[in-house]
Amino acid sequence: MQEYLEITIGAVLVYNFVLARFLGICPFLGVSKKLDTALGMSGAVVFVMTMASLITSIIYNYFLKAPIEIGGKTYNIGFLQIILFIVVIASLVQLVEILLQKLSPPLYKALGIYLPLITTNCAVMGVATLNATQNYSILKATIFGFFSGLGFSLALVMFSSLRERLELADVPKPFQGMAIALITAGILAMAFIGFSGMC
Amino acid sequence: METMWIAVAVLAGMGIILGATIGIAAKIFKVETDPRIELVTELLPGVNCGGCGKAGCADFAKALVAGEEQPGKCPVCSQEAVSSIARALGIEAGETEKKVAVVLCSGDNNKSKVKVLYNGVSDCVSASLIAGGPKGCAYGCLGMASCARACPFQAIEIINGLAVVHPHLCVGCGKCVETCPRDLVKLTPISAKVHVYCNSPEKAPIKKKVCTEPCIGCRKCLKAGEEGQFIMRGFLAEVNYDNAPDTDITEKAACPTGCLKIAKNHLAIEQAEVA
Amino acid sequence: MSAKSAYKVVTFSGGVHPDYDGKDLTRECAITEAPLLDQYQVIVHQNIGAPPKVIVNTGDEVKKGQVIAEANGFVSVPLHAPTSGEIGKPIEVPGPMGTNVPVVVIDADGKDEWGELMPPIDWKNSDGDTIKDRIRAAGIVGMGGAAFPTHVKLSPPADKKIDYMILNGAECEPYLTADHRLMLEQPEKVLAGAAILAKSIGVENIYIGIELNKQNAIDTLLAKADEYNVKIIGLKVLYPQGAEKQLIYAATGRKVPAGGLPMEAGCVVQNVATAAAVFDAVVEGKPLIERITTITGTPVVKPGNWKLRMGYTVAQALELAGGVKENPGKLILGGPMMGFAQKSLQVPIAKNSSGILLLARNEVVQYESMPCIRCGKCVGACPMNLLPGTLSSQIESESFDLAEQYNVMDCIECGSCAYICPSNRPLVQHFRRAKAEINMKRRAQQKK
Repeated sequence: MQEYLEITIGAVLVYNFVLARFLGICPFLGVSKKLDTALGMSGAVVFVMTMASLITSIIYNYFLKAPIEIGGKTYNIGFLQIILFIVVIASLVQLVEILLQKLSPPLYKALGIYLPLITTNCAVMGVATLNATQNYSILKATIFGFFSGLGFSLALVMFSSLRERLELADVPKPFQGMAIALITAGILAMAFIGFSGMC
Repeated sequence: METMWIAVAVLAGMGIILGATIGIAAKIFKVETDPRIELVTELLPGVNCGGCGKAGCADFAKALVAGEEQPGKCPVCSQEAVSSIARALGIEAGETEKKVAVVLCSGDNNKSKVKVLYNGVSDCVSASLIAGGPKGCAYGCLGMASCARACPFQAIEIINGLAVVHPHLCVGCGKCVETCPRDLVKLTPISAKVHVYCNSPEKAPIKKKVCTEPCIGCRKCLKAGEEGQFIMRGFLAEVNYDNAPDTDITEKAACPTGCLKIAKNHLAIEQAEVA
Repeated sequence: MSAKSAYKVVTFSGGVHPDYDGKDLTRECAITEAPLLDQYQVIVHQNIGAPPKVIVNTGDEVKKGQVIAEANGFVSVPLHAPTSGEIGKPIEVPGPMGTNVPVVVIDADGKDEWGELMPPIDWKNSDGDTIKDRIRAAGIVGMGGAAFPTHVKLSPPADKKIDYMILNGAECEPYLTADHRLMLEQPEKVLAGAAILAKSIGVENIYIGIELNKQNAIDTLLAKADEYNVKIIGLKVLYPQGAEKQLIYAATGRKVPAGGLPMEAGCVVQNVATAAAVFDAVVEGKPLIERITTITGTPVVKPGNWKLRMGYTVAQALELAGGVKENPGKLILGGPMMGFAQKSLQVPIAKNSSGILLLARNEVVQYESMPCIRCGKCVGACPMNLLPGTLSSQIESESFDLAEQYNVMDCIECGSCAYICPSNRPLVQHFRRAKAEINMKRRAQQKK
């Protein structure tokens, strides 16, 4: 049980995807101007990361981890890991998008435009490769994926709230726009360093 | 060598399986969308100014395809763009002439008087809430740049306390018209070159007290021009933009205050072009 | 029972207290009747709501107290002639709000003859509607500053139960002492007026809130309060103690819901001057044609409290007070916190002109607005518990939707935040703009 607790807290706070691992910076900066869009993006990321973790860990655990036997010979196809993950995740997101559009139009409206944005986002790829390197079981990988997504959401929502306040602030000209956003993100990341060593 | 073939086989297999799945899924779960929406969105300028009254260009494109709007409603599109959108939709392009905004006031800091000392927020809307604003004329330009800030195209400049629209930058989206608390910015057809640069329907003596270049309502322009080229609103002559006079009207009418002007002779613009 | 223990002392949260309240200039000045003028310029539109319709023509003879403009709709009151004389040509003069307003000119004949007075009402034995009709016929509006027709305030919807009638004798605005002198010199009028107002809406609990810096007024009213079943409440000396919602909270502990009217807290608040006017109208049958105005300020030679007829101009009023010692820096109609700066001396007195205040040149500073330093003083001062600093930066970046979410519409424009702000930010002006923009948006939505 303690192991799972460690995974969850580690994924959300200590090894936060954005603020400690610096993965997924693109949507973090791109979609954080407004709280509304940040929430939509967060939902999409949690969803995709959980799904990607589940599928890639199945592939990893059954095909890539140990050499496979075909016709009496053993082959190690572990080196195909990254390319397989990309193909699988991209197709998965595509498939989910098509299904959503048909089956749940309201959900599609909320998440739809963000889904294609994060197909091969580094945070999603990162969670898949991390699962593999950590040798997580399928259950652990899925939990890790879900809570990593939550960690990403936490960072995104916090940051977009900050940026909404920044809009009202009188920022000196050289710092306006992305510059002050990056400075703010840096300070936020420094704050998250405070969690390091917790687990 | 065999490993390579395995890799090729695995990836090829994956590709075929996943491709087929997505292909089938796309067939089964197909949602009809009109391809024209995307096409029209691309033809629109994409500045999302909201001049058409919709939330943005994509929204306008949707309305166009649905037949709820006419392509001519986009104030930013050039005539060619409008007609190409119309072709894409297979409808007639509604004839529209490009419009530009004009600030109908001559009262810059030299020509108009100020009635009180104003020491507050530098914003026309805020200022006009306090005793109607500091300017002597209750209809004139306050010169605090609310319109200039509202303009998405930086086409309005405040020159010597008077807002002036640069016609070559103006696309006629009408944001300034909405913003101005005194309603003295008007959208006029670009072919109309002559304007009465005054907005006050008050009697001449009242106007003359606060401004050196008002329309005094002498009706000289009405007599000099053809029937229906000017309309009187109170003691103010206004150009009838459905039947705008030619530029030679300024000579014929010989406006006693010089309030009737060709746009390029509007002093402030001229100064701006020189500077 | 000692006077001290005969009343409780209460207050609200927030507020400011100016270091110098200027009340010592006129506190001891008894109310003096202003002499008759040759000509009166009576502003036609003196109330919130629809302007009354002028019913007299040039050359008509009118008597004092005769109706010269009749009410136009429910939220409107008639207007009466301040003296007898002949109606002159209608003109426009600078009004208190900066724009030109139409006035009825009356050339006085010097006789100052009353026309037919309205018959006195035996208010103790009459029903509420009779009293309300009389209050309306007498042209009475809120004399504290808002000029909201009094009869409208006294006509709550049938489903609202009113429990308290509260009279506002706080006079929290610096410099003004008109209400103070009124309570001191005519306590019976105020108390009886309060009782009449309460009777008209069938309320038993009558409170009069008075700031503690008017101790002699408290004592005077206390001596007679029991006769009229009125309770006196002492209020801490704090601005804006006299604002409706703050007074209700201080007196009853009830809070008016955001965006609501006092009647939603079961209260009706009236000014003491209004109560005195109600007494005149009901018991003596006299319409509202004059009011007590404080003419004050350091440049004024002889500051004092005067009973001025409607139609006195600021210039004529200042002459009564002996003119000015020096060239003043600012002229304000009303108090310094919520009054309106004037550009002309030709502005006539209206029913809500509680004061004419002149400030000396050295008292008027042209502040330059600086960036917000987030000290939070405005938050502590706001009597409505809003966040003025946050709101102002939202409004500066034109995020009016955000400002609406932060309840800018509840701002009562008391000016406490702008007064306390060390950066001299024009906070109230920002809020007024936001309110105007939001109202405009709401109207546009309603049309749709």
